Amino acid sequence: MNWFVATFGSSIGKKLLMAVTGLCFIGFLTGHLAGNLTIYAGGDAFNSYAEHLHALEPFLTVVEIALLSLAIIHIVTGLWLFWQNLKARPNRYAVNKWAGGRTIGSATMPYTGVLILAFVIFHLLNFSFVDKTNTTIWQIVSTAFANPLYVLLYIAAIVVVAFHVRHGLWSLFQTLGANHPKYMPFIFKASIVVSLIFGIGFGLLPLYVSLFA
Amino acid sequence: MKLDAKIPGGPIAEKWDRHRFELKLVNPANKRKFNIIVVGTGLAGGSAAASLAELGYYVKSFCIQDTPRRAHSIAAQGGINAAKNYANDGDSIWRLFYDTVKGGDFRAREANVYRLAQISNNIIDQCVAQGVPFARDYGGLLANRSFGGAQVSRTFYARGQTGQQLLLGAYSALNRQIAEGRVEMFPRREMLDLVIVDGKARGIVARNLITGESERHVADAVVLCTGGYGNVYFLSTNAMACNVTATHRAYKRGAYFGNPCFTQIHPTCIPVHGDTQSKLTLMSESLRNDGRVWVPKQKGDTRAPSQIPEDERDYYLERKYPSFGNLVPRDVASRNAKDQCDAGKGVGETGLAVYLDFADAIKRDGQDVIEQKYGNLFQMYEKITAQNPYETPMMIYPAVHYTMGGLWVDYNLMSTIDGLFVLGEANFSDHGANRLGASALMQGLADGYFVLPYTIGGYLTGTDLQPVSTSHAAFEASEQLITAQVDKLLSIQGKRTVDDFHRTLGLIMWDYCGMSRNDEGLNKARQKIQELRGEFWENVLVPGQGSDFNQSLERAGRVADFLEFAELMIIDALERRESCGGHFNEAFQTQENEALRDDDNCSYVSAWEYQGIDAEPVLHKEPLEFENVKLAQRSYK
Amino acid sequence: MTKNINLTLKVWRQKNSSAAGNFERLEAKDISTDMSFLEMLDIINEKLTLEGKEPIAFDHDCREGICGQCGSVINGRPHGPEKGTTLCQLHMRHFADGDELVIEPFRARAFKVVKDLAVDRSPLDQLIQAGGYISANTGAAPDANALPISKETAEMAFDAAACIGCGACIAACPNASAMLFIGAKVSHLNLLPQGKSEADKRTLGMVRKMDTLGFGNCTNERECEAECPKEISITNIARLNRGFIKASLFSSEK
Repeated sequence: MNWFVATFGSSIGKKLLMAVTGLCFIGFLTGHLAGNLTIYAGGDAFNSYAEHLHALEPFLTVVEIALLSLAIIHIVTGLWLFWQNLKARPNRYAVNKWAGGRTIGSATMPYTGVLILAFVIFHLLNFSFVDKTNTTIWQIVSTAFANPLYVLLYIAAIVVVAFHVRHGLWSLFQTLGANHPKYMPFIFKASIVVSLIFGIGFGLLPLYVSLFA
Repeated sequence: MKLDAKIPGGPIAEKWDRHRFELKLVNPANKRKFNIIVVGTGLAGGSAAASLAELGYYVKSFCIQDTPRRAHSIAAQGGINAAKNYANDGDSIWRLFYDTVKGGDFRAREANVYRLAQISNNIIDQCVAQGVPFARDYGGLLANRSFGGAQVSRTFYARGQTGQQLLLGAYSALNRQIAEGRVEMFPRREMLDLVIVDGKARGIVARNLITGESERHVADAVVLCTGGYGNVYFLSTNAMACNVTATHRAYKRGAYFGNPCFTQIHPTCIPVHGDTQSKLTLMSESLRNDGRVWVPKQKGDTRAPSQIPEDERDYYLERKYPSFGNLVPRDVASRNAKDQCDAGKGVGETGLAVYLDFADAIKRDGQDVIEQKYGNLFQMYEKITAQNPYETPMMIYPAVHYTMGGLWVDYNLMSTIDGLFVLGEANFSDHGANRLGASALMQGLADGYFVLPYTIGGYLTGTDLQPVSTSHAAFEASEQLITAQVDKLLSIQGKRTVDDFHRTLGLIMWDYCGMSRNDEGLNKARQKIQELRGEFWENVLVPGQGSDFNQSLERAGRVADFLEFAELMIIDALERRESCGGHFNEAFQTQENEALRDDDNCSYVSAWEYQGIDAEPVLHKEPLEFENVKLAQRSYK
Repeated sequence: MTKNINLTLKVWRQKNSSAAGNFERLEAKDISTDMSFLEMLDIINEKLTLEGKEPIAFDHDCREGICGQCGSVINGRPHGPEKGTTLCQLHMRHFADGDELVIEPFRARAFKVVKDLAVDRSPLDQLIQAGGYISANTGAAPDANALPISKETAEMAFDAAACIGCGACIAACPNASAMLFIGAKVSHLNLLPQGKSEADKRTLGMVRKMDTLGFGNCTNERECEAECPKEISITNIARLNRGFIKASLFSSEK
């Protein structure tokens, strides 16, 4: 176990944990987005997608536990890194200027991370941990997004997610050691594209639901 | 005391082997008991400290910088010579030996130079094994180029950063020994005195540059690798902290100083821009492989270089030296540039510059080839001057670069003080009156990796070394001397800053003891230096305290030593009744204005013995005997 | 073209590592645009000295951009605003008349301020001692051409070896991480066949040492690469990461 602690307790090891769990979340988001696209096909399609999903039990529970574990690793490690990084420069600069490496996404990772955590809890309370005996998921969703405040909040949250993904995606390749002059420019651009897909894909849903449902 | 160079007998090619065999060995178990101080962490000091520690000695290493990786060896650009003959162009140990002796204008010790040439090959092997990323051909083998007046390609290089890469190699070897606990590293320390007990070098007193405390260190031998004294001129290509203090103070403790007037003025530096300039930047002379040096034929021609047609340009090096052309040795190239500027043909705002033109090379090879060879140098030039050398010719002018003189050492690299060894640029030994390009790195590493580790063993086994403690009276006396000097410097509180004095001294030296010298000027300079020294001790203004990180105080001590040492250079220049290499006395020149040696009367090393600040030093001569090289007028035509 | 400019400087003054520091406002008058930044500081120091004040302490040595001893943060940029340039090679022509310059030391927990702008970068030496070398005793080397190294590998190793150890990467990193510094050294040595035999040991040794010295963690902000005066690429950090995975999970190195 010694090597295990030494490896994943080290600075690079912690980053590896962030990278691997982050990659899993991008996979999850992709699946989540694909499922959610059924909303465009109307309430029945969305309800049927939800039913099919729940028919996968107990597999679904396993996935949920896995996601929860990944989230705990991602959050705890992220906070640990954040705290260490704060400590690494006790006296800050009077003038801060970016030299061209940083992006809004990269500079705000810990903050967008915390916001996403808050949003995920809110999101689960809204749509997941609710009594669905006398209603359908579609009804819950369409009721929620009838409130413009909800729509705004969701869109804002999705923008935050997009920024997090925009840095997180290319960054995880770098952390895993996959940086080569030949393909890194592509990965870097791909992160922007993926973050836009997530942003637009997820971001339009509440708008669509509130306007057309 | 009679100078004994301790040159081993036998044919020159066998001397080193024979000597190594004859040197007594130190029992491996006893090596640990010997404590060796190495001052300086450049190529010589870094490699020596690492190699001695690998052998098992306990080493204390000192440097003035914040880390041992910064010594000025790092700035060497061009390359390092070795007689590998990988280029199959007729090189050999003998040819490298011959070229070095000839390039040094026949004022170097044959046996030392031959050993240097022999060892040169081991250095390359060692450096490659350490991970020095030398330039390579597509087949993966090492690439060579011709450099600085050599007609064979024997120079190994790592882009324009050869010194850096070699130094990082030595530094990494040193750090490995630090990690293993065999070297104790003392950065930000300046050696301020050599401590001699029973006639032997037994320690140093160093200033901790952060706290200002004096620290006493005992050793069984002291090795000085503290570089050259080019900064006596204030403006030079040396780093700001390069100084003569360690060697000068050893000189004042009885070590003889060899050939102090032999200074090298490097032909390809970026010209001075104004009176606030702090140092000069060298452009590697590898540039002369492809660049063509010229001035306008007409005096005072102020046209832009592109406006001057081909037939109104004077490619004076190619004209005067058809066989070597732009690749003549440094002293010749420098003096010619000075002559052109003195004749009013200099270019640029100050008229103190000549062109180094790449237009033909770019036309011939294409810009990408030139960029690959010199890209970083061109970039550096553009950064400093804001001119693009791909489009307009570079402007260059000679600048003080290297000092061939240094503490006198014998074949074992030991000075006239027992147990005081001197390596690299700090000693006088291998370059005679002029150093060839890419030879400084070779000498520093040869001394540190492959000479000292053998010869120091011979000294340590053959010498009776009684235990000495830091409370010994000699340490006490040294520390008192240092404290008194610091107190004195701080108490004067005069009107002129340290840099002000240094600048004045530099100008005197450059004007009268620079590229071209004459007796009248030298005598005048001597008087001016004495006056300046007098004024310094009455009118210098050193701010701050002694018990602090006080950079002005550091510099004040160094300038105080330069003010004494400069006079020794003048005395030496006056004494040598000939011109040779870096020492050009106008009274001794051929009809074509080339240096005129006097081999019958001046084939000697001058070694000066200190007698007191205002007393005449005593000259000792080590006659130079040339058994293997035929003395000849250097000709590069 | 040469001209003279006037600047206002706000310079960090700190007596020693334990004292509190503060900014001092200084006027820099009649500064020639051909001067280097450090020559400008020289002039300020001469003036301060003549006024009976203490000059600004700052580290510098070669003034050719290769020794790595100089470096301060100018208006939030280590080594100033020019790309690929050390402070000593930064010329005043890059500033305009009337500019205000805030000059601070490199700041990181691992770099203690010695005085004013001078900092203690000895942790970088400690990192090298943890494995930044090839164990090749003097005299033990085979012929230099015994082991061919492809030009591409040699060039890549060189790109990494160009590091001057100035610490700007750490000063620039929002987390004060030393990953570019050790990434460059690990890349330089591990790429070369001579360095391969102790590659895993080196990688683990240097990373673990780094973690004990108070540097932050890399979050791939790329500021190090953008500020490095030798423009060393973060592909070297990726190579270090790869090497770390390999050494940790697939080697017998403990």
